[in-house]
Amino acid sequence: MTELSVSTTVAGHAPQVPLPEAPPKVTVRNLNFYYGEHHALKNINLTLGTNRVTAFIGPSGCGKSTLLRIFNRMYDLYPGQRAVGQLMLDQTNILDPKLDLNLLRARVGMVFQKPTPFPMTIYENIAFGIRLYEKISKSEMDDRVEKALRGGALWNEVKDKLNASGLSLSGGQQQRLCIARTVAVRPEVILFDEPCSALDPISTAKVEELIQELSEDYTIAIVTHNMQQAARVSDKTAFMYLGELIEFDDTNKIFTSPSDRRTQDYITGRFG
Amino acid sequence: MEAAGPYDRAKALSAFKLGDLTFYWITRISAISVLLILGGIILSLIVGAWPAMKEYGFAFLWTQRWAPSADPPVLGALGPIYGTLITSIIAMLIAIPVGIGIAVFLTELCPQMLRRPIGIAIELLAGIPSIIYGMWGFFVLGPFLANTFQPFMIRIFEGVPVLGAVFAGPPSYLSLFNAALILAIMVLPFITAISVDVFKTVPPVLKEAAYGMGCTTWEVVRSVVIPYTRVGVIGGVMLALGRALGETMAVTFIIGNSFRISSSIFAPGTTISAAIASEFAESDGLHQSGLILLGLLLFVLTFFVLAGARLMLMRLEKKAGK
Repeated sequence: MTELSVSTTVAGHAPQVPLPEAPPKVTVRNLNFYYGEHHALKNINLTLGTNRVTAFIGPSGCGKSTLLRIFNRMYDLYPGQRAVGQLMLDQTNILDPKLDLNLLRARVGMVFQKPTPFPMTIYENIAFGIRLYEKISKSEMDDRVEKALRGGALWNEVKDKLNASGLSLSGGQQQRLCIARTVAVRPEVILFDEPCSALDPISTAKVEELIQELSEDYTIAIVTHNMQQAARVSDKTAFMYLGELIEFDDTNKIFTSPSDRRTQDYITGRFG
Repeated sequence: MEAAGPYDRAKALSAFKLGDLTFYWITRISAISVLLILGGIILSLIVGAWPAMKEYGFAFLWTQRWAPSADPPVLGALGPIYGTLITSIIAMLIAIPVGIGIAVFLTELCPQMLRRPIGIAIELLAGIPSIIYGMWGFFVLGPFLANTFQPFMIRIFEGVPVLGAVFAGPPSYLSLFNAALILAIMVLPFITAISVDVFKTVPPVLKEAAYGMGCTTWEVVRSVVIPYTRVGVIGGVMLALGRALGETMAVTFIIGNSFRISSSIFAPGTTISAAIASEFAESDGLHQSGLILLGLLLFVLTFFVLAGARLMLMRLEKKAGK
């Protein structure tokens, strides 16, 4: 499979003009991951381009969420899980055991499958994250909160009830609150783990639009079960199957003329 | 089925209806009986306490002297009320941080291997009968504190205003502080066990989200786990406080049963329940009525504490913007 993963530049026969190759933000080399004895990811090689959206698709259990959770070392919370290989965020080795995880997670934010507002007010949900890293005045904080909520396309809906509980919002609003909260700490990379799977179609459309906007400033990785979503929002798509990276290429190419038989079967709905 | 002719659905349904009705009334009567029993207890307390109420009136609340064998007997509840409040407050001051701390350790930090042994040990702590705590406090903890901790504190705070009076000598086996410490140990399992249970209800993804922002374990616990579970934690604390206020046997052993109020927490004192337990058997007439009135006061005290806790919860929720 390795020749596929390095063939990212030869996407010439895609119908549309491919995006120019972006400088790599995250580089994955020969990455393996184990849940105890179980070998969950096998020799993954790929790069996330700076300010590009990379989608990860594949049937349940193929390891795409697992891969995402390595980028911010979330797996570290659970004993018995370990990653082997090379994983660089710019010049930082993410797998370095001595790495300061709190700082890493400030640089690599994550949005989860279910909305996860913290048990506090809408304002505090945003201010909380900022306060972890910066000491700023109340008026500056007000600005930052407003900016983050605007960034999360939520400001107009919540500006009159910033002191209401984050839990009082609807599911879609909660998810955008979580995105705003992630953006507020100014990360470099944002990971989305099936961000729309608990949302209705309208909220989903809003979140997708938001992801597109965010890609101007952030490097984005998104795991999704929804292939149309991957096609709509991403520049690059990685197809994974049984813990292996089968194909990694421009999204247009993956969805129009995939090189691998299994990719084709998956995107045409023959399995998965 | 075929032999029984056509299936009579209406009949089957009416049989269910009877069952439903019976069940409804059984549960309803059970629920109402709680109110009846509670009312009955209050009523009998008031009836029993009536002679003392008539004799002493509200002065009962702020009279310190307790002389049941004087003629006429002089009875005042200030000493027991003071002792009850002080021992419970000190006990909670010790037990809340330690109890919640243990719960945080068990759920967030503890290696899997240690989790069960520590958890079981804490549950066993809750199962020890209070009389055993009393004996242990009397024979082991009391002498230990009187020989080490108390002289140490007395020496440190000697001459310091206010605190000097709080930690004044002489050291004593039987004291408010010793009773409070025993109480703290006794109520600790309640706080820990309930906190552990509610901490486990925090969705892992919520904690991951907080860790994902770059929070440390302390920040996750303080800003996510405890706010998310505060209703449950406060419930556990209230259960513990209720037990501390009413605990009798262990306290009677080690508090010294003195009705005199001393500013020092190392001096002997008494609590409402300890006073009742140690005197009720040989009391009669007005003395006995006074003890029942003490019991009624404990009832009222507990009620106000619980009401206060509810109020606090409501204010907390308002603050969180619910």
